[in-house]
Amino acid sequence: MPLRFLSTRSLGAVLALGLPLLVTGCGKEVIRGADDPSVDAHALSTGLDKEDLKRALRDTLNKLRVSPVMNEWRTTNPQPVVAIFPFQNTTSEHIESALDTILSEAETWLLESNVVRVVSRERQAEMIREVEGQQNAVFNPANAAKYGKQLGAKYFITGKVSGNDERSEDMRRVQYFLYMQVIDVETSEIRFQAKSEITKAIK
Amino acid sequence: MRDVLVRVASAAALVIAPWLVGCGGHEARTLKMRTALDAGDAKGAIKALNEEMDVGSDKELPKDIMGDNALLVLDRGSIQQSLARFDLSKQDFEAADKAIDMLDLAHNAGDSIGEYVFSGSSGKYRAPPYEKLMINTLDMLNYLEQGDLNGARVEARRLSVIHRYYRDTLKQPDNPVLGLGSLLAGFTFEKSNETDEALRYYDEALQFAGFRAIEGPVARLAAQGSYRSPRIKALLEKEPASVNPDDGEILFVVGYGRVPHKIGERIPIGLALTLYADAISPADRVAANKLALQGLVTWINFPTLAPAKGKYAVPTVRLDDRYVQLEEAVDVDREVRAEWKKIEGKIIVSAITRMIARFAVGQGIQAAAGKDSVGGLLASLAAQATLTALDTPDTRSWETLPARIAIARVRVPPGRHRVLLDARGWQRSQELVIQKGGWAVVSLMALR
Repeated sequence: MPLRFLSTRSLGAVLALGLPLLVTGCGKEVIRGADDPSVDAHALSTGLDKEDLKRALRDTLNKLRVSPVMNEWRTTNPQPVVAIFPFQNTTSEHIESALDTILSEAETWLLESNVVRVVSRERQAEMIREVEGQQNAVFNPANAAKYGKQLGAKYFITGKVSGNDERSEDMRRVQYFLYMQVIDVETSEIRFQAKSEITKAIK
Repeated sequence: MRDVLVRVASAAALVIAPWLVGCGGHEARTLKMRTALDAGDAKGAIKALNEEMDVGSDKELPKDIMGDNALLVLDRGSIQQSLARFDLSKQDFEAADKAIDMLDLAHNAGDSIGEYVFSGSSGKYRAPPYEKLMINTLDMLNYLEQGDLNGARVEARRLSVIHRYYRDTLKQPDNPVLGLGSLLAGFTFEKSNETDEALRYYDEALQFAGFRAIEGPVARLAAQGSYRSPRIKALLEKEPASVNPDDGEILFVVGYGRVPHKIGERIPIGLALTLYADAISPADRVAANKLALQGLVTWINFPTLAPAKGKYAVPTVRLDDRYVQLEEAVDVDREVRAEWKKIEGKIIVSAITRMIARFAVGQGIQAAAGKDSVGGLLASLAAQATLTALDTPDTRSWETLPARIAIARVRVPPGRHRVLLDARGWQRSQELVIQKGGWAVVSLMALR
């Protein structure tokens, strides 16, 4: 049998098969979260995203809202001064920017509650530089009370995020535990502590 | 029916034809980068990678990183580190780390079947253990260079997660490249004042090599902590030399040369059977011998290792007016070869399996067209030749890992110090200010 070339119909089928393969990957669309809320709903990695932060903060701040220390603040005159110190990251993910967001959100929430005065974060940075020295001006949790005293704060809010990161052949799971504390600068007494949990996985 | 099969074969050849162009495999994508590095032109190497990834700047990540581009991002991260651009290196290593992990988790049976039937590089990339461990190790070095202990601790923890996975889940014994990672992790936790955690990591490091450079510091640290192991106890029994507590410390890390990259080989089946007889099962050998005797389109495509670069160089470190003695921390080149030895047999077998599959396709077309059909014979040969050309050897690997890494840890009085690191004609010169009890990490990655 002689080798036959393709008929017009076969050629059409070949093109129909081949063209979609060639155009694959062309054209990405930029989406605005406000127009399409589902953009925020999908988890893209085992890091912390906006949805995780929102959920964790809502839980924690709701607990703070009804806590005894908050009730005390409501009735204290003049309003007590509160400093907000960085949260420690003891996880296996680089979540520093997420932790910064948590601090800013907590700061906003406190200011809006109108029951305390909040020390500006810039002043805190200066104070950390003063205590730790210029070359290594990094927040040291062991010196938190010292910073608080020098800032004239009665309380400071701090916390940490710890994590449990596990890997199997077909899955990676990170369990986050976010702790928030309110500490009395004078006595170092923990006046409030709350924990919220977040789990992220790739499978 | 025969008509239909011959037409389908012709149609398939036409559809596949465009992909025949430019199927040079991963090694072809990195050729310009390697050439630039060989010439000592690190910036040229980054430019070549950016072009290959189709990105406009050194900061930009490729649109699709969840594929083989992840390896190019890793290469760029290594070269950025060699240029002391630690922020850019961190960005690349961390993006590639996630992508490589995602690829590993997504690897499935379909990928393995593709590797045995279609092409060695058809499946998703699976990084060997030393590559995964080195990502976190080298990224930890980036953070230490910048004095960022928080970031370094995160990388140390990530390293431990992967280490535990290999040790506990895959039952793979400890990998020698872990020695360097554990040493850096120990240093990170020591300088973070987490003594027992530091000792645990140092204990891991001490099992891999001599690491004489850390014996004294570990013995002094052990006296302040409670973690004990036979190795730590043995160090405590030796009397560590007393030191001035005001002194600072500098940790030098010098990587030099490049590990062997993979290159594609295409050899006749007869030669493959001679060279790799030990790696092939008796049944496969019989089938392959049958094909070898027929002598038609019976080539096998498989990857192999190219020679390493510069692993026998002698790096030097000069601190103020004296030379510092370096000690080998890890021979990455040796680990690459050891890992390759473990999988070489499987790779040859899969290449022969693919060749047998190609032959079977050809036979099917010939049978459909009729035993004596010239057209059928041509279609059969065309299909086999097409599939042979499409069978791209899997040459994917992290090509810019240094062949060897050496370390030194020295105590210095507080104040200004000038350091000069040199390896294979690459130099880094820097002035450091060490505070009382302070520390610094200085590295050089001479990827030539």
